[in-house]
Amino acid sequence: MTEAIVTVKHGQAGSAPEGWRPHIVALVCNWCSYAGADMAGTTRLEYPANVRMLRFPCTGRMSPLMILRAFEQGADGVLVSGCHPGDCHYVQGNLVARRRFTIFRSLMDFIGIDLKRLHFAWVSAAEGHKWAKVVGEVTAAVQEAGPLPAFEHPEGWDGLDLPAMAGSGPQELEQKQLDAICGNLRKAASEVLSTGRASVVVGYGQGTLAGQTRPVFITDADACDTLVWGQGCRNNLSTYVASELEGRERVAVVAKTCDLGAISGLIREGQIRRDQVLVIGVQCPGVIDGSALATKCLSCSGDPHPICDLVVTVDGVQESCEDPSRAALDTPDARDEQIAYLESLPHGERWKYWQRQFARCLRCYACRAACPMCYCSSCIAEKHRPQWVPTSIDNPGNSTWNIIRAVHLAGRCSGCDECARVCPADIRLDLINRKLALEVEKQYGKVGLDPEEKSALVDFRMEDSEEFIL
Amino acid sequence: MKSVKGSSWKLTEAQLREWLRGLLEENHVVAPVEEDGVVLFRRIASADDAIVEASGKTRWSPKEFLFPRTEALYRYTFAGGAVQIEDPPVPEKHQVLFAVRSCDASGLVRLDEIFLSGTKDLLYAARRENTSVVTAACAAADPECFCTAVGYSPVGEEGSDVQLVPLDGVWLLRALTDKGQALVGDGGEGWKKATAADGKTLPAIEKKVAGQIDRGPVNQEWSQVLEDGFEHGAWDRLAQHCLGCSVCAYVCPSCSCFDMNHQGNAWCGEQCRSWDACTFPLFTHHASGHNPRATKQQRYRQRVLHKFAFREEGDQPFRCVGCGRCVAQCPAGLDIVNTVAAAVEAMREEGVDAAG
Repeated sequence: MTEAIVTVKHGQAGSAPEGWRPHIVALVCNWCSYAGADMAGTTRLEYPANVRMLRFPCTGRMSPLMILRAFEQGADGVLVSGCHPGDCHYVQGNLVARRRFTIFRSLMDFIGIDLKRLHFAWVSAAEGHKWAKVVGEVTAAVQEAGPLPAFEHPEGWDGLDLPAMAGSGPQELEQKQLDAICGNLRKAASEVLSTGRASVVVGYGQGTLAGQTRPVFITDADACDTLVWGQGCRNNLSTYVASELEGRERVAVVAKTCDLGAISGLIREGQIRRDQVLVIGVQCPGVIDGSALATKCLSCSGDPHPICDLVVTVDGVQESCEDPSRAALDTPDARDEQIAYLESLPHGERWKYWQRQFARCLRCYACRAACPMCYCSSCIAEKHRPQWVPTSIDNPGNSTWNIIRAVHLAGRCSGCDECARVCPADIRLDLINRKLALEVEKQYGKVGLDPEEKSALVDFRMEDSEEFIL
Repeated sequence: MKSVKGSSWKLTEAQLREWLRGLLEENHVVAPVEEDGVVLFRRIASADDAIVEASGKTRWSPKEFLFPRTEALYRYTFAGGAVQIEDPPVPEKHQVLFAVRSCDASGLVRLDEIFLSGTKDLLYAARRENTSVVTAACAAADPECFCTAVGYSPVGEEGSDVQLVPLDGVWLLRALTDKGQALVGDGGEGWKKATAADGKTLPAIEKKVAGQIDRGPVNQEWSQVLEDGFEHGAWDRLAQHCLGCSVCAYVCPSCSCFDMNHQGNAWCGEQCRSWDACTFPLFTHHASGHNPRATKQQRYRQRVLHKFAFREEGDQPFRCVGCGRCVAQCPAGLDIVNTVAAAVEAMREEGVDAAG
C-alpha cells in the first residue's frame, strides 16, 4: 500500500518533528479492558488522547495480523489489553493469547520493531485507574520511540555481514557408499510395493540439471530403479503425503532426518494418521543448497531416526521399532550465532536488514507451497473480506505476509528449511523460523518428534511467563 | 523492432563504465546489482554498482520496470464531501534498462504483444515509450539456458536498442535503433570504430553457446499437437509434483498475468494492478465458486500451452524465450522443455485423446 493511503507519513525512527504526537491503536477485549476504559471515563480520569480503541470479544480473538495491520496502516504503537488470567469470559482465551503474544512480540523485536511500540496489559472492568495509567505509560513510550520507520527498501544501505556458519555436517560418504544406500533404498521401496505395505512410494528421481532431483511417485515395484539418492535430494516429500493418500490406504515416503519433524507434525495435527504413512528413513549425506552444504545440515548427523518404519543405511534395510516417544532432535544450530548477532544490533539496523529482504519478495508463495505444515486449503493470504494481507507486492504487504507466515508456523515449524530453500529472493526465512523455535523452546520447552505431544501454541499453563504484560 | 543501421564501436571496460556514467546523468538507469548474494535488476545510483559480465543472469527478469509488480491505476481521496480522482504520476526521466540479456529483451517484446496490441494499455505504453534497452549478449550459457532450443539466440537483437557483445576483453557496442543511436550519440572519448570483422563474430558466438545448450529443439508443429492433446492424460502425470506456487511465472520474462485489487480506507485509496499467475487457483476462481481450472495439473497445462501453443499464426515466436529460470528455480524440479517433449511424445504414441 502506498503512502497515499496511510493517514500518517512514516518517518525515520527517533527523528520526530517538533510537536509530533504518536498514533496508537488499542485492541481491547469487550468484557474487561473496554469496560475498564469506560470506568476511567465515568470516573473523569484524564489520560492522553492518542489511543484509538478497537473492541474485540476476547484477546483470544485478536490475531497478530490485526497488530500488523495497525502498524502497516500508520500506527506508531499498539496496545493490546484484556482480562487478567482467570477472569476470561471464555475461560481460557487470554491464556492462549498470552502465549501467542509472547512469541509474536519476540518476532517483532527480531525484525526491528522497537518494543517501546508494542504493549500488552491486563486491565479489568474495575481498573479504570490502571487503564489511565497504562495509556499514559504507553503513550510516553511510543512518544520516545518516535514515528514508525517506513516500510520500504533502504536505499543506499550497505547491508550486514552476518557471522559465518560453522559445522561439520553429516559423515562424508563416498560415491560407492551412496550407490550402496541407493541400491538398498530401491530394494526397500520395491519390497514395500510388492508386499502391498503401501501402494505408492514417494521418492526422488533424476532431475534435469546437474545435481537436481525431482519428486517421483512410484506405484510399480519394477520402476523402483528410477529412485536416486544423494546430495540433490532436497525436497521434503512429506508435503505430498496427504494428496497421495487420496484413494489410497497407505503411502510410503522417503525421508531424510530433517523431514521427519513435518511427518510428526502432520500426524500431531490430524492431517494424516500414523498408520497411513510408511516412513523410509535413509542415511543422508547432507544436501547441497546453491553450491554449499545446506545450513540445516551443518549440525546434523544424517543418521535415520527411530521414528522411521524402515531404516536404510549403507549396510542394508532394517525394520525400526524403537519407541518414538524417546526421540528428540538435537537443536544446536549453526544459525544461532547469526541470530544473536542480529539481536545485538539496534532496532533500526534490524529493520533495514529485513525490509531489504522483504523488498525482494515476489509473493510467489513458494515458501507456502513447499512447506509441509502449510496445509490450509484456503490461506489467510487469500482471504479478502477483509483483505488482511495486502495483495500489493510492496514492502507493507510483503512484510505482513512474511511475518504472518512465520507466526502461523510458530511452535509447529519442523525446521526443514524448505521455505528458505525455494525462495527465489533468498529471504532468510530460516532465520525467522529458527528465532521463533528458540523462543518457543525457551518459554514452553522443546517439541520433539513424538506425534502425541501437543504444539506449544495451542496449549497453555496458568503459570506461563508474562513478565512483559503491564 | 526492426534493426536500423547504426554506429558500431569497440569499448574497453573502462570506456563502457564511462558511458554508463554519462547515461546516469540524463536517465534513470536500471542494471543488474548484487544484494545479499542475489543478482537482480535495480535502479542504480553509481555506474560502479552495475554488474556487466559476459555471461550469467539475474535471478528474475527486468519486466517489473515496464510491468511493475504493483502499480496504482488511479488514486482517490474523500475531502469535504467530494471525491477527488488522481491519475498515477507520469514518468519524469527517461529509463534505460542496462545489460539486459537477449532472452529478457525478447521477453519484453512478448509483453508488448500483450499490452500494446489491440487496446493499448496506457500506463504500460507510456513506460515503454520512455524506456530504452541496452542488451548484453551472452558468451556462454548457464546450465539452465535453452534459448536456442526455442528459436531465440544468445546474441539476438529483438527488443534491443543498443547491443553489447563481449569479445575478448572488450565490448562491441552496436546501436540498433534510433533510440539506441540517441544513447550512443557520436561515441565517447577514445572509442574505436568497430570493423566489419568484429560484426562477423556474432554467428560464431551464437554457434558456441548453442553448442553448450544440450537440449533438443522444440518444433513449431508441436503447438498443434499440444493443443489437440489438451485432454490427454499425460498432463496429470507430468505435473503431479507441481506444488502450485508461482515462482515460474514471477521469474519469467514473458508471463504477464495480473490481478486488479482495491485498497483503501475511509479517507483515501487506490485501484491497483498486481502480478498474478495462472498457476494459482484463485486466478480463475469464479464468484460462483466454480473454478474452470480446478487442479494444479490444469493450471500447469495452461502455463505450458500459453508459452508453446495458443498462437494466432503458426510463425509467431514461442512465448517462452528460453532463459531457463523456471527450470532452475522450480521448487519441485519441473522442466518446461522436458514436459513439452514428453507430452508431445505421449500424444503422438498414444493418440491425442488417450487417458495416458
